[in-house]
Amino acid sequence: MAVPNKILGIYNLFKQFSSRDSLKWATLRPVLISNRAISTSNPQRGLMEFFDDKTNWGANEIKCGRSWRKEELRLKSNSDLHKLWFILLKERNMLLTMEEEANERVQVFPSPERLDKVAESMENLEEVVRERNRAYHELETGETGERPGKLATNIFGLNYFYKMSEHVIPKYMNKTWRKKYQFFKHDPDVEAFLVKLRERLYLNKRRKHTRDFNHVIGLLNRFPNMDMEALKQQYPDVDIERAKRSRKYGGHFEPK
Amino acid sequence: MSTRWYPIYQRGSPQLRIFLPNFWMKLIKPTVDQPSNLVNFACSMEMTRFDMKNYLEKIYNVKPIHIRTRIASGKCRRDPGKGYIVKNDDIKYAYVTLPRGEVFEFPDIFPNIKEQEKEYEKTLKQSKQVFDQFLEKNKERREMPGWFTF
Repeated sequence: MAVPNKILGIYNLFKQFSSRDSLKWATLRPVLISNRAISTSNPQRGLMEFFDDKTNWGANEIKCGRSWRKEELRLKSNSDLHKLWFILLKERNMLLTMEEEANERVQVFPSPERLDKVAESMENLEEVVRERNRAYHELETGETGERPGKLATNIFGLNYFYKMSEHVIPKYMNKTWRKKYQFFKHDPDVEAFLVKLRERLYLNKRRKHTRDFNHVIGLLNRFPNMDMEALKQQYPDVDIERAKRSRKYGGHFEPK
Repeated sequence: MSTRWYPIYQRGSPQLRIFLPNFWMKLIKPTVDQPSNLVNFACSMEMTRFDMKNYLEKIYNVKPIHIRTRIASGKCRRDPGKGYIVKNDDIKYAYVTLPRGEVFEFPDIFPNIKEQEKEYEKTLKQSKQVFDQFLEKNKERREMPGWFTF
């Protein structure tokens, strides 16, 4: 009896200090908490968990809710998220199995959007876990704790994001690493290649500009009363005043 | 047990723990007759047979006694529109043996296929009948325009 009395005492103490928040503290009322939490998971069905509920076999449409949103997942505890992940994982395996079987039998797989919903939920869940991880690491170590990476230039002079990883031995001893990851060094052939690449990119850009310019003139000819604001928004690079000064603008008739 | 990036393991470091594994496995109907305690799976390409054992034991509470894997090469085919050659993805198959005496039979997911086919045939027959009646009615009015028929 000693322990409940103690809890009651603490509870009364709180109640005295915060009469305004009495409702809030009411939740602290000592209650006997049962160890057996209510389980909502499926009973263990072994390999039959790879298949949908028997009532859904051969159905044309299976109704289901939407995917989990990030805001909802942010409210959940870590252990809840962990449990939910495995539920989603099992659901995905089940859907993949059913899809495969439907394809095999040349039948319609009912409600294929379920796969997308599960994928989206898993993506959101992972993002939320990542957020928490990042926050924890930043608080404890001042770093994000994510896999480090940096912009690097490969042997052909092109930039890419190099994901760093841990190695047992240092770089200068690591033959395989040096062979696999070769970064940019000055090389006349690569320079020549880059000049040509940049030329190609520049020409593509210029041709796109010309194409858009001519297209805008065509649009102005066909639809003289069109919404100019919308046109400007869609083709921000095109100077419409200049397009109107072009000789291609206007009909093939003598002006009055 | 997943495709995520883990810190390197060296002797003496704490054991790597898997949180949120992202591997998938799908149960597949066997194409040939096989023992009743053998189950076929297709799974993520990165999975090893140890991964599969852990996956089935920890997540599905199924205890396999033996696992074999193979990688089936995807078929090369010509793209129907463009004509270039496309290779389908490779698939990793796993053959999981359950303990002696355990039986797994792949269930029939589409139990009412035959009924549906029967119904389809019935409607086909009905529409054929209707068309025959139409022809019978307009026997005397051959090669008449459509608005002149019954």
